[in-house]
Amino acid sequence: MRKVMGRVSILLILMLVLGACSSNNSSSEGSGDGESSGKKVTAWAWNINVPVLEEAAEKFKEENPDFELEVVELGREDVYSKLTTGLQAGGKGLPDIVLVEDDRIQGYMETFPDAFVNVSDKGFDESKESFPTYKTDLLSKDGAMYGFPFDGGPTGVFYRTDYFEEAGVNPDDIQTWDDFIDAGKKIKEATGKAMLGLDLNGDDGLYRMMMTQQGTFYFDDEKNVNFTSEESKMAAEKVKMMKEEGLVKDTVGWDAWISAMAQGEVATAPSGAWLSGSITQQAKDTEGNWGVFKLPAFEESGNRAANLGGSNYVITSASENQDMAYDFMEFFTTSEGVQLTAMDNGLFPTLNTIYESEAFTKDVAFFSNQPIWELFASEMNDIPSVNFTGNYAIASDESIKAQSEVMNDKKSIEEAYKAAEDRLKNRIQ
Amino acid sequence: MAKNLEVIEQSTNKLTLAERQQKKPKKKKNKLKAVWMYTLLSIFLVVSIFPFYWMFIGATNDSSKMFTNPPTLLPGDQFMTNLTNLNESIGIFRVLFNSLFVSGLYVVIALAVCASAAYVLAKYNFKGKKFIFTAFLLSMMIPYQATLIPLFQMMSDFNLLNTYFAVIAPQLCFPFAIFLLRQNFLAFPTELMESARLDGASETRIFISIVIPSMRPALAAASIFLFMTQWNNFMWPLVVLNTNDMYTFPVALSSLMGLSYIDYGQVMMGVTLATVPIIAFFLTLQKQFISGMLGSALK
Repeated sequence: MRKVMGRVSILLILMLVLGACSSNNSSSEGSGDGESSGKKVTAWAWNINVPVLEEAAEKFKEENPDFELEVVELGREDVYSKLTTGLQAGGKGLPDIVLVEDDRIQGYMETFPDAFVNVSDKGFDESKESFPTYKTDLLSKDGAMYGFPFDGGPTGVFYRTDYFEEAGVNPDDIQTWDDFIDAGKKIKEATGKAMLGLDLNGDDGLYRMMMTQQGTFYFDDEKNVNFTSEESKMAAEKVKMMKEEGLVKDTVGWDAWISAMAQGEVATAPSGAWLSGSITQQAKDTEGNWGVFKLPAFEESGNRAANLGGSNYVITSASENQDMAYDFMEFFTTSEGVQLTAMDNGLFPTLNTIYESEAFTKDVAFFSNQPIWELFASEMNDIPSVNFTGNYAIASDESIKAQSEVMNDKKSIEEAYKAAEDRLKNRIQ
Repeated sequence: MAKNLEVIEQSTNKLTLAERQQKKPKKKKNKLKAVWMYTLLSIFLVVSIFPFYWMFIGATNDSSKMFTNPPTLLPGDQFMTNLTNLNESIGIFRVLFNSLFVSGLYVVIALAVCASAAYVLAKYNFKGKKFIFTAFLLSMMIPYQATLIPLFQMMSDFNLLNTYFAVIAPQLCFPFAIFLLRQNFLAFPTELMESARLDGASETRIFISIVIPSMRPALAAASIFLFMTQWNNFMWPLVVLNTNDMYTFPVALSSLMGLSYIDYGQVMMGVTLATVPIIAFFLTLQKQFISGMLGSALK
């Protein structure tokens, strides 16, 4: 028996040694453990945002020589896994700065009201005018802002100029969604191509854009579920009509959607401005055959501006370096130079003081020399503010279910969305 | 004692041979059936190999080639470009070292822990044994999400975030491995242990010199399982590791997934690199593994 104990103690010692050498390791890495060292600021962000942060840090250092930024590169979804875990554990292991997308930010602000630093208190309201209202509204709670607006996703319809030409359709004539559907029929006849790719059972991006465009969302301004509203019905009807006319190619998942564009199987893609990056990188052979027009409206001269995607930076309340983090983020958010680097990296900045610069007015070769950034920038002030609320994720889940039921002819639009509304109300309570 | 072991091993081998010989005449009877079998098997072979081939195609081509029609089916010339890009994005050697270190150390310690526990549960009688074993099995039913936050809080309180220790420690006692090993230990003849005891061997000696060597196939199976578990482990390392230079492969690969732009060349290259060690580990232990399967089939 004594010998067994001997083995056990050897094992214990082994574990202690292991523990000791690895904790040595961590103190030399020294981050996220709360033992922050003076001027060092850590940030969590995903891929194309990382170089932007790093370049901004270089610029910021010129004025603040002892400033140091450590960017931890994470997958987009992974940021949320870590952030949620950290917040639930009472702010442990969190960095100073985190990048959070538009559709998630209100959820965090509701579930963890004290999670992020109130930046209005620190003086950010001065710069409020430099950003579109949809963005500042998103980040506000009880009149104070809790984050820094960063990039946005003004929407547009990316289209294949060659297919449109072949079918004799002029994109300028597409003013309403009905025009869009008519054009789709013509293109289908002339080229045999589907008008657009939609993930009918897995994503409701088009419905969301249509809702935003009409100034509402899953929830109205009072946070009431909005599935049975007139706007929702109109949006669902248009999507359904596209499907019935055979204009939709069912693309399951992101890769299939991009792939359909790269292979020239679809004539258009209504989406956020950020899609340009994916098309340019992954459909290189189609260079010069693309153009962009604004989202069609629901009635003549109706609103054609909407937003899909975008993100913001927040400072965590757990940060021990809040002032330094704030100074850096204020510089990052309002510096035209930094935001232009963001533009170079394929992000669409919401800082409106730079929309006059050459980067926005220039012709883009890939998009048949159209100045597409000008088009997107011109939308920014018309984008309606919408209410994501903390229940965005489950609302999205129900919305996709309802869409799927409608598309598979299982239920009528009224029935499907009424059922979704009831289910959602149950899930919220 | 060593001789006893050899006897066991030899008898196992003999029986295996005998069994093989029994099977041979059956095969000859039915040539047509064999042709049919092989056709079916080749189809399955293609189906299971193709994803790996596609992974290799992706790793050697430019990202945009993944979406062409007709699909690219030949290896391209972007191998080095993808490798350099990947190395710039995640630092391959550091990540590879982290993963190997974490998984290797984990297998060694976890195997020691699980084998000891399994041995005790299989071969000793004491009060509460059934209860302990049931508790182990029941703990397999607790979803990891439920333990994630308390564990994270613990690691944070001990100031162990962002350490290898934090990645390895929580899963050292792995119920499934204990279960697997216990079932194998049960089959070990108690008479052998008794005769060793009569010869004056201590309990520790019996375990280390007699039981363990004859359990190599089971241990190999368990270690492959443990290695795979740790190598593929994603959520926990993601949550406890806080700097890019501590990342293991799955976490580093996941950091390549952005919003609107994903470089599939890099991703596929990364996946290829992450697959190689698993294949190598499996091939090394395969011999033990297969003889273990045959051995247990005889009993």
